Amino acid sequence: MKKQSVAKPIVSALVVALIFVLAWLAEKTNGSSSMLVTVLKKGAVYALIAVSMNLLNGFTGLFSLGQAGFMLVGAYTYAIFTIPLAKRVAVYQYYAGGCVGVELNFVVALILAGVVAALFAALIGFPVLRLKSDYLAIATLGFAEIIRAIVQWDSLGPVTNGSNLLKTYPTFNSIMPKDMSVLFPFIVAGVCIALILLLINSTYGRAFKAIRDDEIAAEAMGVNLFHHKQMAFVISSFFAGVGGALLAMYQGSLQANAFKSSMTYEILLIVVIGGMGSVSGSVIASFLFIACSEWWLRFLDNTTFIGDFQIPLLGSGFRMVVFSVVIMVVVLFFRRGLMGDRELWELRCAPRRANKGVKA
Amino acid sequence: MSAGKTVLRVENVTMQFGGVVAIDNLSMDVHEGEIVALIGPNGAGKTTAFNCITGVYEPTNGAVYFDDQLIAVNHPSGRMKRAYAGQNGTMYAGKHVHLTPDKITKRGIARTFQNIRLFKSQTAFENVLIATHLRKKSNVFTATFRLNHKEERAMREKAMELLKIVGLDDVADEKATSLPYGKQRRLEIARALATEPKLLLLDEPAAGMNPQETDELGAFIKDIKERFNLTVFMIEHHMNLVMDVSDRIYVIDFGKQIAQGTPAEVRDNPAVIAAYLGVDDE
Repeated sequence: MKKQSVAKPIVSALVVALIFVLAWLAEKTNGSSSMLVTVLKKGAVYALIAVSMNLLNGFTGLFSLGQAGFMLVGAYTYAIFTIPLAKRVAVYQYYAGGCVGVELNFVVALILAGVVAALFAALIGFPVLRLKSDYLAIATLGFAEIIRAIVQWDSLGPVTNGSNLLKTYPTFNSIMPKDMSVLFPFIVAGVCIALILLLINSTYGRAFKAIRDDEIAAEAMGVNLFHHKQMAFVISSFFAGVGGALLAMYQGSLQANAFKSSMTYEILLIVVIGGMGSVSGSVIASFLFIACSEWWLRFLDNTTFIGDFQIPLLGSGFRMVVFSVVIMVVVLFFRRGLMGDRELWELRCAPRRANKGVKA
Repeated sequence: MSAGKTVLRVENVTMQFGGVVAIDNLSMDVHEGEIVALIGPNGAGKTTAFNCITGVYEPTNGAVYFDDQLIAVNHPSGRMKRAYAGQNGTMYAGKHVHLTPDKITKRGIARTFQNIRLFKSQTAFENVLIATHLRKKSNVFTATFRLNHKEERAMREKAMELLKIVGLDDVADEKATSLPYGKQRRLEIARALATEPKLLLLDEPAAGMNPQETDELGAFIKDIKERFNLTVFMIEHHMNLVMDVSDRIYVIDFGKQIAQGTPAEVRDNPAVIAAYLGVDDE
């Protein structure tokens, strides 16, 4: 037992290191703008966002659809505070250079992005978390739509640049040495997902799962429902905010219109395909999903001819039809997703030892 | 009985849902170290009484004291407001207390459920472990960064010890819902004990058990009562068990108390025989 507890962190550290080396090699051999590297970057960003959503929907049992809203808050916070002062006149061309005269280091801005998203979550959590299931989903969805409208509001232009693009802030390519840009989203997402895993396996994570399994029993066992739901909501939003900032870095330019509710549904799809309540499932599913939508299934959107014969159905927008069918098939026949509520590293092992950490 | 001080006092509690009066002006006392049973025919309001004590419901009228402190007080809502405005109004005026179930559990009342409510996706061990969360001292940061590893180990040791006491340590790693019925009941008791209660409320602990299991349960309840220095208040239908373990019995029917006393007194009470034992096959 003791051997196992020493070996486990070493093995996981090696696996993580291997993934990082492979990602770096992929960029080294294929170049920063290759499809593979693009998918890896976006996949890592979505992995973090999907895991943060899973923390709420899969582990705490709160069906929230506000993820795009918190990502938007995080992305805007990051962009607003990192655009170089010299370039603000050009970016905020309609608002006389904007009114935020601060430029922060990108690491500080990333953390601030999470903090601001978490603050929003704490505020709207008070009224919203008293709702249950569908009502909670509608309320959080409403929040995401409202925040998107507010950001584009002309009066806030000096801060958010209205509905115009935010750009020239630091991106993956600009902050990392040549051919290493893929490592940045991997490092940030990796650290954040590790933190979420630690939380889930702590006593608080167990309380979250208790709320998911049976609210009444959890409350009778002394778990303060509101306090713990609020905690899960705020923490999930913090990481969604960081994820949003990463997405902004990936895209290179930022517009509120991109954060529509369809983005939340994409992430929800990833979480469901990966398995509600499985962190590794969400990570695997997000890479698969991004690879399919950006790369492998691109051909579905192109009109294709074999000789003179035009393949029916293929054409602009057909990809989304295929995705919709995938959702239906998953929900109808594979409700547990790829991993169910188990983790990759639990699949092969015997049942978990209960007295782990107890000296025999 | 000559028992110690009053641990739980239910004072003139009424619980009305719309036109249905589930509990009607019910008063009960439970003294330290006692095993008290609450019996009555189906639908008499026994579980509703437990729900008023544990904060699931706020009583429409009356008050509940635990350790001489008010934990629930009359709180008529909606249309009940007018109907109950005058009653006991002066007695509890300005004493509005609203404790959610978790706060009441924290004060020292733990319960089990009539229809077993275990955490379905968790193992037996994890079910007990979750209940130790209540007495934690760590916050979410120290817990995430494992700065509380001593406390974590103590929690795990305590959960394992409780499983041993209820005789479930051999199935610690099994999914709670895959256990046989009798073991699930014991697991619920272990989980309730993990919250370190002074008063344990058992809602039909013997439901669905065979006669042998029921006999064992009686000895088991007495055993944990001594071991953890508990007071036990239980709802039960198995008369053999009730007569065997309880010091005193309250009998209610249609939300009203119809008798109380020692098992022998209650057994011979004509009202009880009419309402309850009369329809029993014994």
